[in-house]
Amino acid sequence: MNDDYLWDKSGDPDPEIQQLEEILGTLRYQPKPLQLPEELSTARPRRNYFPLAAIAATVLVALLTGGLWLQIRSSEPSIPAVAIAQPTAPIPGPPLSVSPDSPRKRTPRRVKDDRQEALAAKQQLMFALRLASEKLNAAHRRTQDKRSSYENTLPN
Amino acid sequence: MKTLFQTKLAAPLMALLLVAVSAAVATAQDSRLQLSSLDHLAAKASQSVDVNIDERLIRIALKVFKDDDADDREIKKVIAGIKGIYVKRFEFETDNQYTPADIEAIRTQLRAPGWTRLVNVTSKKEGNLEVYLLMDGEQVGGLAVLSNDVRELTVVNIVGPVDLEKLAKLEGQFGLPELGIESKPKPKNDDEK
Repeated sequence: MNDDYLWDKSGDPDPEIQQLEEILGTLRYQPKPLQLPEELSTARPRRNYFPLAAIAATVLVALLTGGLWLQIRSSEPSIPAVAIAQPTAPIPGPPLSVSPDSPRKRTPRRVKDDRQEALAAKQQLMFALRLASEKLNAAHRRTQDKRSSYENTLPN
Repeated sequence: MKTLFQTKLAAPLMALLLVAVSAAVATAQDSRLQLSSLDHLAAKASQSVDVNIDERLIRIALKVFKDDDADDREIKKVIAGIKGIYVKRFEFETDNQYTPADIEAIRTQLRAPGWTRLVNVTSKKEGNLEVYLLMDGEQVGGLAVLSNDVRELTVVNIVGPVDLEKLAKLEGQFGLPELGIESKPKPKNDDEK
């Protein structure tokens, strides 16, 4: 027996070695792709930003829509500017007619309507200012009255 | 590795969100009161007045103010910068046609940040009168007057900068007759709380 079989399998094989080869042969390296269990996977999970972006977009759209709605609502023509339920004490001035903002040919009638509208708006404005002024003065007067009556109660 | 959201979209989106939120907050701080909760009182009132003058109508009204008229010039000074004037006034033939909840609906809005109650006068005979200011820094950004007695409820809301002194001087001046809404001072004030 020589060692050639062990070296390059050229010599006579030793039955004992052949037996060992058969036993250990099952554990021989067999090339195949490595398949790790999923729980052992070390790959970093990819973060999904879609829900975050969707929420942000929804909030943004809601805010913009709300802002737009408020802007449109505040810029709507005031129809009517003044409404008085009982005609016993009407606010003086011509009735207020709100004309559309679309450009129209400025006919004499149109000019007259615009002036009527402006005069009516002025009357309503003056009424509101007068009322506010009266209330402010009343507040001032009544505050003064209370103060003077309080001072009168103080001992000299 | 950063995603497209992180690299390109995050900053503009956040900026847009910030702008939108700022706009919403600014709108919320508007000095205009919501007075529609009082509308149902019109059916009970013997007389009601509803004035809604927005910025557009103020601009329209300004067209007929004359620059060569001293009174008009003074009034123009008062309304310069004002963005709206809103009034609701109800007079009733019988007592207590409105409820405390009607008033509270307005007061609740006036408890919002920025509003300050300048005057609060209560009287059994003359009714209650409250004056609120919305302060925008050192400047008055809005005015609200809440006045009520047993047969009357009035809310005046001016949106925008108001010069109170000039406004108070308007009564009975510049050819504006007094409305006679507020009674003359009473000789005795012992009824006041």
